[in-house]
Amino acid sequence: MIEFENVSFSYTGQEHDGLRGINLRISDGECVLFCGRSGCGKTTITRLVNGLIPQFYQGELQGRVLVDGQEISNLPMYQIAAKVGSVFQNPRTQFFNVDTDSEIAFGIENEARPSQELIKRVEQTSEDLRIQKLRNRNIFELSGGEKQKIAFASVYAMNPQIYLLDEPSSNLDMTSILELREHLRLIKKQGKTVLIAEHRLYYLMELADRIVYLEKGEIKGIYTPEEFQQLSEQERERMGLRAVDLRAVFPPKTCSLAPIPVLELRNVTLRYKKRTILHDINLSAGKGEVIGVVGHNGAGKTTFSRALCGLHKDSDGQFLWESKLMERKTRLKRSYMVMQDVNYELFAESVEAECSFGIRNPDQTLVNATLEELGLSPYRERHPNTLSGGQKQRVAVAVSMICGKDLLVFDEPTSGLDFDSMTQVAGLIHRLSDIGKIIFVVTHDFEFVCRTCSRVLHFDEGEMPDDVPVTMDALPKLRELFSVSDGKER
Amino acid sequence: MSNQANSMNKGLTVKDLVTTGIFTALVFVFVLVGGIFFAPNPVLTFFMPAGSGLLTGPVFLLMIAKVQKRWSLSILGVVICMIWFVTGMHWAFALGYLMMAVVADFVAGARQYKSKELNSLAYILFSLGGTGSYIVFFADPNGWAQTMLGNGTEQSYIDTMQATANTGILIAMFAAAIITSAISAFVGCKMLKKQFEKAGITA
Amino acid sequence: MSGERQKKGLWLDPRAKLLLILICVLASMFAPSLTYQFVLVVLIAVLGAFFGKWKYVLKAVCFYAVICVLTVWIMAEMTGTLRTMFIAFLGLFHKVYACGTLAGIVLTTTKVNEFLSGMNRAHAPKKLVIPLAVMLRYIPTIQEDWHYIKDAMRMRDVSPSLAGFLAHPGMMVECIYVPLMMAASKAADELSIASVTRGIENPHPRTCLVQIKCGAADWGAMAVAVSFLIFELCVRGGVIG
Repeated sequence: MIEFENVSFSYTGQEHDGLRGINLRISDGECVLFCGRSGCGKTTITRLVNGLIPQFYQGELQGRVLVDGQEISNLPMYQIAAKVGSVFQNPRTQFFNVDTDSEIAFGIENEARPSQELIKRVEQTSEDLRIQKLRNRNIFELSGGEKQKIAFASVYAMNPQIYLLDEPSSNLDMTSILELREHLRLIKKQGKTVLIAEHRLYYLMELADRIVYLEKGEIKGIYTPEEFQQLSEQERERMGLRAVDLRAVFPPKTCSLAPIPVLELRNVTLRYKKRTILHDINLSAGKGEVIGVVGHNGAGKTTFSRALCGLHKDSDGQFLWESKLMERKTRLKRSYMVMQDVNYELFAESVEAECSFGIRNPDQTLVNATLEELGLSPYRERHPNTLSGGQKQRVAVAVSMICGKDLLVFDEPTSGLDFDSMTQVAGLIHRLSDIGKIIFVVTHDFEFVCRTCSRVLHFDEGEMPDDVPVTMDALPKLRELFSVSDGKER
Repeated sequence: MSNQANSMNKGLTVKDLVTTGIFTALVFVFVLVGGIFFAPNPVLTFFMPAGSGLLTGPVFLLMIAKVQKRWSLSILGVVICMIWFVTGMHWAFALGYLMMAVVADFVAGARQYKSKELNSLAYILFSLGGTGSYIVFFADPNGWAQTMLGNGTEQSYIDTMQATANTGILIAMFAAAIITSAISAFVGCKMLKKQFEKAGITA
Repeated sequence: MSGERQKKGLWLDPRAKLLLILICVLASMFAPSLTYQFVLVVLIAVLGAFFGKWKYVLKAVCFYAVICVLTVWIMAEMTGTLRTMFIAFLGLFHKVYACGTLAGIVLTTTKVNEFLSGMNRAHAPKKLVIPLAVMLRYIPTIQEDWHYIKDAMRMRDVSPSLAGFLAHPGMMVECIYVPLMMAASKAADELSIASVTRGIENPHPRTCLVQIKCGAADWGAMAVAVSFLIFELCVRGGVIG
């Protein structure tokens, strides 16, 4: 049993993410979902249970958090670890080893279990979670979803009574999310207590027993999934929450007229290390089009986006811009990619400096106008690293606008974003589309695609079998591409 | 602030150890990248420590700024020494880095790792670790060449070794290493102030 | 050091491998002449062949033979400062070559977890094992990061090359260090959280999934290495020949 007794917390030197007067009791075997806007304190709740507060994050703590009657702040971390297992958001920075077997065993090795038991547990874990094919692999070769499975397996091997998951789906594709749901179902069946802080809600609806809605650090409502699903769309969006049921998400009814093609790809074939990734891609796109790109891991989405931006060398076929051939260097000048981890493309010491970074004679009025337009003016002196994920993304977009790029590629722009930030990104993309940019969006986010894209390209097995308009007519196909149809039936 | 003073007493935490590990990886990579251009070149080989020293300053200084505790730099030295050893580098090269890392630890620690000047000096000393194998050469050029020349070391060789030109090389090697690592430390201090402290990633 | 599946061939205890490297360093240090250095390289090549690395060792031996011939020629022909430089360089080269070749074999046949297990069995303190493990795990991450950073630089019209560096040193410095350091510092936080919540602070000594043991092959290899070293020392001391 987990008890919060009048808990308040504020991080040192930070206003948001704190908690005020939390009283909550979670019984064994319960699955509780915490939701709310970014900064509402849902992650803080998980940190109170796994002991990272007060041991790792400093701040002002009042009240008590008890697990099985013991106060968490009095226990050493390794004893908490035996009771409470935690899975985090970013699969890239969660593993300690280079190979999967050792990583699965990491936690139980720390518990100093004898080696016979280690072997048995690792076997049992990979069997239970059906990850045998991930055994004995180099973690650096795994996809994000596979890495996340290993992180989960490592916790599962420790067999804790309580599982904490902090935005586990942020970096996962549709299939991996459904697999994560199966794993959650399994631990729930074993009678484990599960606490999840999450923005994406749809995959948890039939798992959660209670849904706790937080706002500005306070519990503003506790719902059963049934009650929760009854909330009207307006109500839910006012609360800043993402879709609860993807089958209730629809593309816009009207279809905009196809614009005159500007960008054209003719028989483009892409290779990576002599292996053909995509072959004979033909495609055309006009100004203002927003094109979604979907496909499994390794289907060639990344190679495709890099080739569009002139970053990928090994290619055949032609890229044309207004019927003129575009060499790689020209594409590089004309296009910009907003990376999934946008930190890699921010170099300067302030937002303002970032916008004129590397430009010989920066046009200060353009910089100011762009910052104003994207709502970044208040942050112009701040270091980009101190901004939120959504704000960093906007800085990268500002850079692309100031550099006069015509073609933009967004790689998973909504990973880890709440509803408000998601609509902001959607608004941003609409604005870019209005000023005539061509935009490609690599994404797994069905809700986001319905809000922004005019069509969706699907890559599979080295080909592009589908080029689907985002309209009501194409709904069945779209649902198939985003694995929405089986979103609930199992 | 009270929290920090508290953790100071506790010694190295897991976070400090992980930070040390990550920055050791970066130091290793930058030393390797900086030196690789010089090492396999007979004429430039003496400037390998200088090349290595040129790139690593910002990494080293940020690590000090993040951990600010005794033994972190020494651990870096031990780990790097082990890696050089396992990758088949000359023993004096590996040992040089180990010794100078420990020295650097004490130099930077003299002001609780807070003085930029002393930290920079610590870095310069650390990057002199790369001269280890060359020092062995200058200390005993006969022994060095013995393998190649067989047992009869020629008089002419010993003569050339004692000629001033060689002391020149020795001085040039040290001077170059000190200058480049000083530049690197200077850039590192600048970056700490301009970027990393503002970004809030120092301790 | 990779996590790949174990290839066919000989398997040696990582501790034995470390000892072999140590003996190799000593043997290079005390080698009385180039002939012994060459024999040492050949011995290492034989070991490599047992591991199934035929191509690698063949290349290594051939290359070394060429360098040896070159050394003899340089020693005979060159004079002056240039000669000193070559002596310094080749001296280092000969001392390092055998170890480097052996290291190449060791690194490609040892998994990181075996190596760490070896450290564990040798009762190395946690304060050393944690940074070492993190370092080995982080090097491939630096490579991945660098890949992304290069892309980002190109899109900003900064060429990630030596020419680009000379053209705009200040800008280049920021492009390289800022994202790398930000990523490193974020990784340090998240990785420590991920290890602390899985109980790394447990005061009991860790156990290890990978079990290593010293077998006949290990003793054999070590015996050969030690006898070679002793032989060398005897020659050097004038006991033999």
